[in-house]
Amino acid sequence: MIRLENVTKTYSTEVVALRDASFDVAKAEFVFLVGPSGSGKSTLLRLMNREERPEKGSVWVAGRNINEMSDSKVPHLRRNIGNIFQDYKLLPNRTVHENVAFALEVIGRPKHVIRQQVPAVLDLVGLAGKQERFPHQLSGGEQQRVSIARAFVNRPLILLADEPTGNLDPATGEGIMRLLDRINKTGTTVVMATHDQRIVNMMRKRVIQLDRGIIVRDQARGVYE
Amino acid sequence: MISRLRYTLREMWASLSRNLTLTVAAVITSMVSLFLFGITLLIQQAFDNQLSQWTGGVQMVVYVNHDAQPEAVATIKEALESRPELIKNVEYCAVDCSLAQAKKLFAADPESLKFLSEENVPSYFAVEPVDKNQIQQLLSIRDSFTKLPGVYKVAFPSDQIAVLGKLKSFFGVRTYVMSGVLLFASILLIWNTIRTAMFARRREIEVMKLVGATNWFIRLPFMLEGLLQGLAGAVFGSALLLLGNADWTSGVRKFPTNAGLGGFVVTDGYPIKVVFFMVLLGAFVGAVGSATAASRFLDV
Repeated sequence: MIRLENVTKTYSTEVVALRDASFDVAKAEFVFLVGPSGSGKSTLLRLMNREERPEKGSVWVAGRNINEMSDSKVPHLRRNIGNIFQDYKLLPNRTVHENVAFALEVIGRPKHVIRQQVPAVLDLVGLAGKQERFPHQLSGGEQQRVSIARAFVNRPLILLADEPTGNLDPATGEGIMRLLDRINKTGTTVVMATHDQRIVNMMRKRVIQLDRGIIVRDQARGVYE
Repeated sequence: MISRLRYTLREMWASLSRNLTLTVAAVITSMVSLFLFGITLLIQQAFDNQLSQWTGGVQMVVYVNHDAQPEAVATIKEALESRPELIKNVEYCAVDCSLAQAKKLFAADPESLKFLSEENVPSYFAVEPVDKNQIQQLLSIRDSFTKLPGVYKVAFPSDQIAVLGKLKSFFGVRTYVMSGVLLFASILLIWNTIRTAMFARRREIEVMKLVGATNWFIRLPFMLEGLLQGLAGAVFGSALLLLGNADWTSGVRKFPTNAGLGGFVVTDGYPIKVVFFMVLLGAFVGAVGSATAASRFLDV
C-alpha cells in the first residue's frame, strides 16, 4: 500500500528531517512510527500525504509514485487518505454532523450519500446521539472521535494519524486506539506517529523507530524502547 | 453538480455577510470608479455631439454682398463646387430664405425681429466641408473664399470649435486617469477583501485540502464573491449614472434652444451602451481582484 525508497528530506542545509528511509507498508497493516520530537515522524506522514516532496528517493502510495504526480491529481490522492491530528482540526462553528459531512461535501458527494454515510460513521465512532453538538460541547476524546469520523467517512485506503492520543488522558487514549484498531480490521491501513509508550506496548503492532531522521528499528509486533 | 453549486453559493453568501464592512468598502470604491468611468464616456460623447452640432449642418457660411449680381453669385457657387476634395455640400439660401431663418432665430426677441428686413439680411451659401474636424483645413478654405468678388464675409465658428476640442481633451485625459486610478484601487480593495476572507477561513481551507477538495472548488466561492462585489459596484454606479444623466438632461432642456447647449444632452441609447460596458468592466475588476487573491493565498 505504501512504499518508501531511499527517501531523504531536508528543510535546510543543516536540518535533515529524513535520511535514506526505505520501508513498505502492506494493505490493512497497522504501523507505529516512534521516536523523539524532531526525529522525522511527522515529516514521514507529510511525505505520504504529498504535503512535502523529498529531495531524494520516491514515495509510492496505492501503486503510484506520488512525487511524480501532478498537483492537479493530489486532491484525488488525498480522497484515499484520511488524516487525524493531535489538535483534531475541527471547525468550531459547525456541528459534529456538519464537521463530518464537510469532508464529503467538499469533494462533491451528493446529498443522499452524505445523509446515509455520516450517521453510519458517527455510529461507528460512538457519537450517534451527539451529532448536533458543537466541538466546544464535547470532551477531548469525543472531539478526536469526530476527527476520526471525518477522516474515515469517505472509506479511505489509508489513515495517517499524527499523535492522535497526545492530548488525551490514558483511558480516553485507549478508547481511541480501540477505535483505530477496529477501523484497521475493516481493511484500512493505519500509520500512526506517537510518543505514547503505553499504547505502543499495549497494541503490539509493527514499530518503525526513527532517530534524527534515520530509521533505527523496524520490528513486527514491537514495543516502545 | 447541484450540491457543488449549492455549496459554492452558500459559502459565497456566508463569506460576504461575515466580511460586511470590507465588502461595502469594495462595492463603494467600484461604484465610484465605474461611475466616474461612465461619466467620462458620457462627457466625451456630449462634446462630440456639441462639436458635430457646430460642425454639422452649417459648418461655414459664405455671406454674399447685397449688391452682388446673379453672375457673381453663380461664380461663387461655381468656385465652391470646384473644390470637391474639401467641400462636400453647398446650399444657397437667397434673401427670402435668409430672412425666414433669421425670423426663426430671433423668435424669442421681438425687439430684434422688428429690424429684420430684406435690406439688412444677406443671402448666403451654407458650406459643408468633407472633414469636419480638420480646423486648419477649414480655416484655409475660409481665407481663400473671403477674397472672391461678391463675398461679404465668410463666417466659421473656429474659435468655439477649438475651445470645445480643448475642453474635450482636458476633461477626457483627467477623468480617464482618475477613473483608471480608482479602478485599480477597486481591484486592490477586492483583492484585500478576498485575502481577509481566506485568512478568516484558513482552517476550513486547510481541512478542505486535506480531505481532497480541488483548488478550483476551494477558490470558486471566493472568486464569485469578488465578481459579485465588482458587479454590485457596476450596478449601483450605473444607476447613479442614469439618474445623473436624466437630471442633467432635464436641466439642459430648461435652457432656450438657441443657447447652444442642446448637444450636451446624451440620449439615443448611448447611456445604455455605457451601462452595459460598465457592468462588463465591473465584472472584470471583480474577477481579476478575486482570482489573483484566491490563487495567491490558497496556501494559508
